[in-house]
Amino acid sequence: MARIAGVNIPTAKRVPIALTYITGIGPAIAHQICEATKIDESRRVNDLSDAEVLAIREYIDANLTVEGDLRRETQMNIKRLMDLGCYRGLRHRRNLPVRGQRTHTNARTRKGPAKAIAGKKK
Amino acid sequence: MARSVWKGPFVDAYVLKKAEKAREGTRNEVIKIWSRRSTILPQFVGLTFGVYNGKKHIPVNVTEDMIGQKFGEYSPTRTYYGHAADKKAKKK
Repeated sequence: MARIAGVNIPTAKRVPIALTYITGIGPAIAHQICEATKIDESRRVNDLSDAEVLAIREYIDANLTVEGDLRRETQMNIKRLMDLGCYRGLRHRRNLPVRGQRTHTNARTRKGPAKAIAGKKK
Repeated sequence: MARSVWKGPFVDAYVLKKAEKAREGTRNEVIKIWSRRSTILPQFVGLTFGVYNGKKHIPVNVTEDMIGQKFGEYSPTRTYYGHAADKKAKKK
């Protein structure tokens, strides 16, 4: 068990895969971390030495925003838009798509499950 | 796609002229503009613009955060009162 970036405990998977369990680290950044710390991508997390785990941890601390900090940053950005009273903020407030997608149909990700309209069909 | 940097920000000329006049005159008056497509420039901060939404001029107090966005973003053009049909259907 290796603890990297707070609470995350990736498993016996390959290092780049395991790193993507951390919020804010995807395949591309995981690859970048492996390169910077000179860890072979075919190796598993459980056979990393303590020094290597430490190197990964230090690299993340120094270069990346992950987990809680990242979530807070995103939330702050959304809150800023909402406080401004601009169009994007209004869309966030109403939980509708922000980037000009159609809402006549679809948009279910933002709107949530479809609500049945009573008495729509005769 | 974003606008090329070498072109500089787009602002309708009359908006610039009106803004300059307003800044000299210190009185904080609403500057009526129809140009929703104009970029908000740093020198507009602190001024109040009445941005036309197709019906009336919506007063927009420009703050620092708004720089780089367009005036139109602050003046919604659509009114939505919800679906009247929903209520009718419930009553039946």
